[in-house]
Amino acid sequence: MAKPVCIIGGGVAGMQVALVLNSLRMPSVLVEKSPILGGRVPKLSRTFPFFNDDGFHDGKEFTDAMERDLRAAPLIDVRCNTVVSALRGDFPDFTVELGDGSSIAAGAVVVATGFTPFNPTSLKEYGYGAYPNVITATELEWMLNPRGPTGGRLVRPSDGKDAERLAIVFCVGSRNKRIGAPFCSRICCSYSTKQASTVMERNPKALVACFYMDVRTYDRGFEEMYSLAQERGVRYIRGRVSMCRQLPDASISVRAENTLLNRPFTGEFDLVSLSTGMRPCEGVNELARCLGITCGPDGFFLCREWFRHPHDATRDGVFLAGCATGMKPIRNCMIDGAAVAARVTALLGEATA
Amino acid sequence: MATSMIAPETIKEIPENDFFLTPSCILGAVNPGAEVLIGRIYDLLGLRWKAAGDRAESQCTCCTGFSSHGDLISIESTLLVTARLWSVAAEIGVENITTACVTSFAIHNECMEMYQHEPGLHERVDRWLQRACGRRLQIPKHVVHASDIMYRNREALAEKLRYRLVDHNTGRPLRIVDHVGCHYAKVFPEKSIGGSESCDVLAGLIRAWGGETVDYPERRHCCGMGFRQCAIRPNRGYSMACVLKKLESMEPWKPDAILTNCPGCNLILDKEQWAILQMTGVEYNIPTLSYTELAGLLLGWDPYEVVGIQGHTVPIEPLLDKLGIPYDKSKEWLTKENLEVT
Amino acid sequence: MNRNISPTEQIFPADLLSKGHEELRDIPDDKLVTAYESMRDNEFAADHTYPNLRRLYGTSLEREKDRREIRQWAENCDAEMQEWYEKARNEPCTWWLQNHLVAKHALKSCIACGVCTSQCPAAQYYPEYNPRTIVDAVLSKSEDRLVELLKSDVLWYCGQCGSCKPLCPLENNLMGLISSLRFLAQLKGYHLHSVRGRQQYAMRHLCGGNLWNRACTLYFRNITAEGHPDFGPRYAKYQSEAEGQMVRLGANPDRPGHFGGRKFSPQTLAEFRSCLASGGTLVLWNQLEEYASEDARKSGVSIDEYHDRVHREG
Repeated sequence: MAKPVCIIGGGVAGMQVALVLNSLRMPSVLVEKSPILGGRVPKLSRTFPFFNDDGFHDGKEFTDAMERDLRAAPLIDVRCNTVVSALRGDFPDFTVELGDGSSIAAGAVVVATGFTPFNPTSLKEYGYGAYPNVITATELEWMLNPRGPTGGRLVRPSDGKDAERLAIVFCVGSRNKRIGAPFCSRICCSYSTKQASTVMERNPKALVACFYMDVRTYDRGFEEMYSLAQERGVRYIRGRVSMCRQLPDASISVRAENTLLNRPFTGEFDLVSLSTGMRPCEGVNELARCLGITCGPDGFFLCREWFRHPHDATRDGVFLAGCATGMKPIRNCMIDGAAVAARVTALLGEATA
Repeated sequence: MATSMIAPETIKEIPENDFFLTPSCILGAVNPGAEVLIGRIYDLLGLRWKAAGDRAESQCTCCTGFSSHGDLISIESTLLVTARLWSVAAEIGVENITTACVTSFAIHNECMEMYQHEPGLHERVDRWLQRACGRRLQIPKHVVHASDIMYRNREALAEKLRYRLVDHNTGRPLRIVDHVGCHYAKVFPEKSIGGSESCDVLAGLIRAWGGETVDYPERRHCCGMGFRQCAIRPNRGYSMACVLKKLESMEPWKPDAILTNCPGCNLILDKEQWAILQMTGVEYNIPTLSYTELAGLLLGWDPYEVVGIQGHTVPIEPLLDKLGIPYDKSKEWLTKENLEVT
Repeated sequence: MNRNISPTEQIFPADLLSKGHEELRDIPDDKLVTAYESMRDNEFAADHTYPNLRRLYGTSLEREKDRREIRQWAENCDAEMQEWYEKARNEPCTWWLQNHLVAKHALKSCIACGVCTSQCPAAQYYPEYNPRTIVDAVLSKSEDRLVELLKSDVLWYCGQCGSCKPLCPLENNLMGLISSLRFLAQLKGYHLHSVRGRQQYAMRHLCGGNLWNRACTLYFRNITAEGHPDFGPRYAKYQSEAEGQMVRLGANPDRPGHFGGRKFSPQTLAEFRSCLASGGTLVLWNQLEEYASEDARKSGVSIDEYHDRVHREG
């Protein structure tokens, strides 16, 4: 029996690696630091659509289905509430030490530790943390979720009243050399458009304005989603928001330049959602040190070869899947998971042949 | 240098003692008491400071900041003039510069930054300075604004205050708008206390002395002084418009006063309220004080003889009434000419 | 230098003070300068004040004396930067963008996100002003577009507040760029093509005159009640007793000291002037004079009338 693959991170990418490995008859140990599996997906009110239909899926439905398969799979050992504290040995004979004192003999390690949404508290110009009606996209998503705190209603946190005017601010914490984050987080335009579209669909009388610099709805079906959002009445204003300020009634005054009209714009909104960009997973530097792998200039784990082996980390036997290399749609995390499972299986096969 | 991801207030180092005080052109011209007060407050706190040696006459010229932003001075001339001031400070053995003017603060810091990122500039300016006036380029250890010192010592001052920022009849903390100079907080945000958006240099004083700050939409909007925009009369509409914008925005919060740390801001926010009254009929009448004037008043110093409130267009007396500070109105003016004043 | 003579007794060429540029023209440079200086440094011993300072500022005499003096200083100045600015005047605008100390670091790339314009108070006030267009002209590196920009009023709307600076995601320095371009516009005379640009001649003698003669950008007597009716009657009252109020508050109007209105010693003034000259500023000031006198001639007015006119145009 081959040594199992140790998968660090029980989000959708990690789960997919385990499932595909299982189908290739490879055993795995899935280590997840929190009590539950699924990562950030269960809280999504909707995933991205399949082309233009309203076949948006509920996040938790999706991860529940994956978890059912996972738990039924004979070769997957799931360890929640567990962290990795050290990695010793070399490919294909690793010893992974866990936080509870036990250790696993593993043939390979897959890092699927995901990302962290940027915390906009440090960008004082948006007023997050100071003004109740300024929230993040993650909070908006949970608010839109029927399982969430308001049953899916859009409300102003300041007084609980219905929020009819929503401003969505793109590029918060990204494309900003000044704060050391010159990169684009790639998915925010798309998830913001998804959120905006959802709000308009539920309340055609709402006013939703997206403040963008570029709209990078790049993936298959996303441009169509962008058109659909506009047809539903979402307004797109080209200009980076420079400032959010609270008015006496706790509404938020948003200022930007409408660069297509060459005019400064100030508008009042009930609710402002900051589409925050990505940062690496918490403790990424310690994890990198612990695993003996390196990170790129954007802080995410670096692959050793850009084109032919994009999932190989910079140490033999360690592999990368999912948002651990940067934010990406769920579908791409699933693709990553399958690719990594195949790669690991092939290499382990060679090594132990 | 990128504005760091660490909270800015942890970066700024404010020196403890031994200051060289550079005066301000605008304060010197329209609010002279306010900068003399800096020295008085330093003395009260037992801090060691010098203006320009112990000679009767000053060697401390203008830093050329206003003219630089008025597009009349080459950057190299500004570098040389500031280098000369640094040399004067070094001559009397002081390595911490505190500026009375906020534009000066930004100018000194701009010069310091240039030496850091322009290769060879240090050597060139040193050479020019020697040829021009026989002095050497010596970069000071710190350049801060005098309000930074006030901020650092705000608790110590709070203990010495005779009056607090409260309505003495009702005990209500006064609502004070903090208007921080753009050149203090925006040009080099990492060199201001709290950064450009949540600057604390004046808010900290207000809190420490018993008042409440006001957060209103145009809080960080420029006062509109604009250098050439206020200096040349036809351009002054811009300045007035900026002031009006701020006043309209802060009005719902009914502030009791505006506190400034920049001489230019104080000039414009105070004086244009008259023009706005004439043009719109709205009387905002919000007393606009500099931080030293407020400190002086709360310390119980004479409003006319020492603080100089008579220089303000918007009368300060209503604020004194709220604070419970007594004053003798007959001491306001020196001559008894009848001039219609409101 | 006449010391210890009371203001009423001293004989100073009072008639010089009332003369306009035309009448002063024939007086030789050194006579003009020494007459001015003797008035300036005339100390009233009883209270160590310099009573002529108030009479001298803002006069045609001071401006004419400045013209002559600046020309002389520039001729005798062999500073590197003076040569550099002379050269820069004849180079294309694109050369300046690559070589000027401030301009070359000010702007590298722009994603046209608009945070600068959205925060700009001038963009909110002047409907035709949009700082991003300045960025675009500079990035285009097109000499024609740059010349057009330098000749327009648009270049002069910026209030140099720096609101554009803290939020720019690419750390550009738009405020510094505009300041640098304004210097260039004046060097080349393009400022003459716009109303706002021509005002620089007034600035030259207001702020520049104060710097040259009083080592301080503003002189308390400049800010007159007549010139600032917007400041209201309380200010007028204060200004009418300014000197007394300043003394009362611890300042030093027209006398030695550390605070407001202070008079510097000739030695300090000389050092200060030396720093100005070594930095190349006098090239600009000389050019401003040349351009203004040409412009005045073309408009058929005297230079004094031209000076007053550009103070009020706009």
